[in-house]
Amino acid sequence: MRLRRTKLYLPGNNPNMLLRGYLFKPDGVILDLEDAVSMSEKDAARILVREVLKQGEFGECEVTVRINGMDTAFWRKDIETVVPCGIDGIRVPKVESPKDMQILDEALSEIEEKAGIPVGKTLIFCLLETALGIWRAYDIATSSPRIAGICPGGEDLRADLKTDRSETGEELVGPRRIVVLAAHAAKVDALDTVYADVTDDEGLKRETQWIKQLGYQGKSVIHPNQIPIIHAVFAPTQKEIEQAKKIVAAAREAAKKGLGAVSVDGRMVDKPVVKRAEYTLQRAGLLEGGE
Amino acid sequence: MKTAQAGTLESMDCLVTASEAEKGRGISITMEGASVARFGEAILKTAKETLREIGVKDIKLSIQDNGATDLVLRARVEAAALRLFGGDRR
Repeated sequence: MRLRRTKLYLPGNNPNMLLRGYLFKPDGVILDLEDAVSMSEKDAARILVREVLKQGEFGECEVTVRINGMDTAFWRKDIETVVPCGIDGIRVPKVESPKDMQILDEALSEIEEKAGIPVGKTLIFCLLETALGIWRAYDIATSSPRIAGICPGGEDLRADLKTDRSETGEELVGPRRIVVLAAHAAKVDALDTVYADVTDDEGLKRETQWIKQLGYQGKSVIHPNQIPIIHAVFAPTQKEIEQAKKIVAAAREAAKKGLGAVSVDGRMVDKPVVKRAEYTLQRAGLLEGGE
Repeated sequence: MKTAQAGTLESMDCLVTASEAEKGRGISITMEGASVARFGEAILKTAKETLREIGVKDIKLSIQDNGATDLVLRARVEAAALRLFGGDRR
């Protein structure tokens, strides 16, 4: 299971952020060609992002690029430019249609094949930023095997819902619940939207605790200062760590002995519980990550 | 004379201004910025290499550097040249 607690947005035309973003140790970085780049700079940002992907450093981060929406003239050029660089995935804004994801999947396969990249390697993360996108969340999440996560929108979604930001975030409660349910039903990650007020640490902490409780795996981040706050919320308790250690140790012991069943404290433990325990140790930094 | 720009004067970036040169006049490059004294040669080499890769033979470039790394310089030179001539030469 790949850790996706924090994904830091990096403006696609800003060399300073693009080159240094990973140093803040988010689980992933999102090189942004969409909202962070003005219409007149799309060409320059695409070239800069390509060079950064080819030669830049990203440490342990999962590297994704947010492309321009499929309702724009830019998306195809975006993927043709960034996918051959061997990125982990792309983030697609304003997804509303499973059909679009199939078109994207095919386009990605073509580019991967030409570039000598294993077909299917480039993952897709869908941003559901309209009422229609949220409503079709499950169908979108299951529309291609590349889809690794779905994410509810923030401001765009509020606008489409004909409402605005409230202090409690009430207006996004329903969409967040739909997305998390659809994500788990489709066996993809539920990733939450950004917390826009970068000066309100308490508010960020509260919201992260809430979305974690709902079943989200993480949040997008727009400021490096938000990363440690979110990681702390997702950090398992000592009790959870001890239990997870026991389960993982028992599973390894069983595997060594060639046993199918794992037993901990006299009780049988099945495979999803072992996976969950490994995820707990990963979040505690006690186990290496991986897919 | 037609000109085009790419980049900014922010930290770790550079502003590249490209203008047309007569056919056969080759590449001429002027540079400004604190790093030019130490890295001028390297900046020149990268800019020329980038222009060669995208097939540009005649051009005038002015580079105002504010600590751009090699890859940023490369990206800005390419963007400015493509804006000047239009299209995608890669």
